[in-house]
Amino acid sequence: MADLALQHGGTTVVRRAHRRPHDARRAREQWTAVVLSFPALFLMFLLLIGPVATVLIISFTDYQLGAPSVGLVGLQNYQDLFSDRVFWKSLGNTLRYVAIVVPASVAFGLAVALLIESGEGLKSFYRAVFFVPVMATLIAMAISWEYMLHPQFGLINLLLKQIGLAPQSWLTDPHLVLPTLAAIGIWQLFGFNMVLFLAGLVSIPRHLYDAAALDGAQSAWSRFWLVTWPMLGPVTMFVVLISAVRSFQVFDTVHVLTKGGPNKASEVLLYTMYSEGFEFFRSGQAAAVAVVFLAFVLTLTVIKARLIEKRVHYL
Amino acid sequence: MLKTCLLSAAIALIAGPALAATEIVVQFPYGELFTETHKQIAAAFAKKRPDIKVTFRAPYDSYEEGTQKVLREAITKQMPDITFQGLNRVRIFVDRGIAQPLDSYIKADKGIEAEGFHQAMYDIGMQNGKVYALPFAISLPIAYYNLDLVKKAGGDPNKLPANWEEVIELAKKIKALGPDVNGVTYAWDITGNWLWQAPVFAQGGSMLNADESKVAFDGPEGQYAIKTLARLVTEAKMPNLNQPDMRAAFAAGKTGIHFTSTSDLAKVTTMVDKKFELKTHLFPGVAPVKGRLPAGGNVGIILTADPKKQEAAWEVMKFWHGAEGAAIVAKTTGYMPPNKKANEVYLKDFYIENPNNYTAVKQLPILTKWYAFPGENGLKITDVIKDHLNSIVTGTRAGEPDKVLVDMTSDVQKLLPRK
Repeated sequence: MADLALQHGGTTVVRRAHRRPHDARRAREQWTAVVLSFPALFLMFLLLIGPVATVLIISFTDYQLGAPSVGLVGLQNYQDLFSDRVFWKSLGNTLRYVAIVVPASVAFGLAVALLIESGEGLKSFYRAVFFVPVMATLIAMAISWEYMLHPQFGLINLLLKQIGLAPQSWLTDPHLVLPTLAAIGIWQLFGFNMVLFLAGLVSIPRHLYDAAALDGAQSAWSRFWLVTWPMLGPVTMFVVLISAVRSFQVFDTVHVLTKGGPNKASEVLLYTMYSEGFEFFRSGQAAAVAVVFLAFVLTLTVIKARLIEKRVHYL
Repeated sequence: MLKTCLLSAAIALIAGPALAATEIVVQFPYGELFTETHKQIAAAFAKKRPDIKVTFRAPYDSYEEGTQKVLREAITKQMPDITFQGLNRVRIFVDRGIAQPLDSYIKADKGIEAEGFHQAMYDIGMQNGKVYALPFAISLPIAYYNLDLVKKAGGDPNKLPANWEEVIELAKKIKALGPDVNGVTYAWDITGNWLWQAPVFAQGGSMLNADESKVAFDGPEGQYAIKTLARLVTEAKMPNLNQPDMRAAFAAGKTGIHFTSTSDLAKVTTMVDKKFELKTHLFPGVAPVKGRLPAGGNVGIILTADPKKQEAAWEVMKFWHGAEGAAIVAKTTGYMPPNKKANEVYLKDFYIENPNNYTAVKQLPILTKWYAFPGENGLKITDVIKDHLNSIVTGTRAGEPDKVLVDMTSDVQKLLPRK
């Protein structure tokens, strides 16, 4: 992207030097540019804008999966949605999930990255080990978690019994189920954040630490607070937003482990969308949920785009 | 080598269509339960009708998935010729115009009664006055008793509870045997509100009124049913477990009475093995004359609209649901075939040897349809009811079943089609 912009800037400068005699050529160039960008635009419409527009349109209809006819119903789907208890519960759960997973996975990812970076040997080993959860299929991992969390013979409850604590029904207790799913979410996400932080750490110039040492920053904490943390600012911002977007998309664990239960205690937006569309066959209603979901993710993306632009400031 | 391979492939391609029998594509749910059953029936059928070739698609994982798949395939025109679907899913296929009516075939086939087909079978797949489906494997709600625990608690194994009052009394006594013993468990969350419909229908009630415009489960029958469920929690101390955990606890000998589908019988019997004496018994609280029980299980539906294929598909359906096919269903699954001839002739000895399998057959006369709610919100309603029942089972609202029923009624009423 940056390269392209630079080239483009270059040609403009050249063009400005001898403008008038080359008007025809310029028009031709512009025409070529439009033609060349056509395949990209076409694909963008086909794969991104088209489907989103379709979902938006479906959300204003009473379409049902497999139904022979469709009718416009205006805002009816949204009215039904906003008066449905399940939707508000689902939205609340999703926000709570994001509120737990984002700070924890960012903090954990940063801590592990710092530990690995400050250690001597086995760096690549640790990097690989902590990155495994990111690579693994979440569905398969969810099944392993299901066994570990089993109320009667699960590993976690056996360990709790060993140290004299009461076993818990992690996935059927309405108060525990969301934090449990969040813990799995953190486990899955922090390795990814760790890798991003590691990249950020490597790019901090060593001489900054030397300068800080000269100025009297002796303790590890002051080195972190004065150099590392501010220099990681842009990376941290990026990590926070990416984590937020990814935790908004939580679905696999819910689908495999709880199906939104018990009594909707772990119902999240994407799962509501799935059950409305593919279990209750209310496609219009599902599309309305999708639109709400898109609005959230789009907001996050806009924030990201705005803030990432500012990172130039640090470079 | 390669040449001969190619040659034989070419010959197969040319010769194939000439020899080809009419192919009927069949898809069914729950491979782990039914693959063996369908395979055996197909083998028996192949001997009788070599001119019709039955091929199977990979089984659906569940009733829910099966319905989704057919609805999607209806758009892309890739449906199988015959599909087996959950009993309460007939309605959606009829509403969408996907299922093909069978009446003309049933009328034209004179010998069909002698093959064990009967009116109650047709009633189950009837919608808007036409038969669209035939029941293949039927399950009914029944009670499973751990006789060892019943005896220990002072109950009489020869006089097991006939009504809910007696069930709760016995469950309390069993519960008193120890802190890790459960008196009773009730698989209330079986898909499609099955075990909510059961106690309401057993009292003679119904889900909606006759023209399906108003909720009817808020009447005395529904009040009795929801209060009973609450009493299981408050008085009999029913634990809040999911279905697999309930089954595991019962099979481990930790539960005295377990209410669930007959379809669990094969699994439970194997899991119990010789740990304790298992006995199945009639579902309690069935009112005389007007009491009914909803049939679970799955039905066969013809989807192909091509008249030639339909004829072949009907031959397949007739065999699958006929006496021979039905007998295979009973022997390979815990399900019961609705076919009269199969039960009375082919399976006579089987039921004498397996009295636990016979409990459901005794309940056959009070069989009724597994009710599906009307309109576009039909399946959403099922979910709403499930959530309300859950609030009782978790204990949160076990103290106020009347209020739960009022809320449940108004929530369901809002989702019914506005006429």
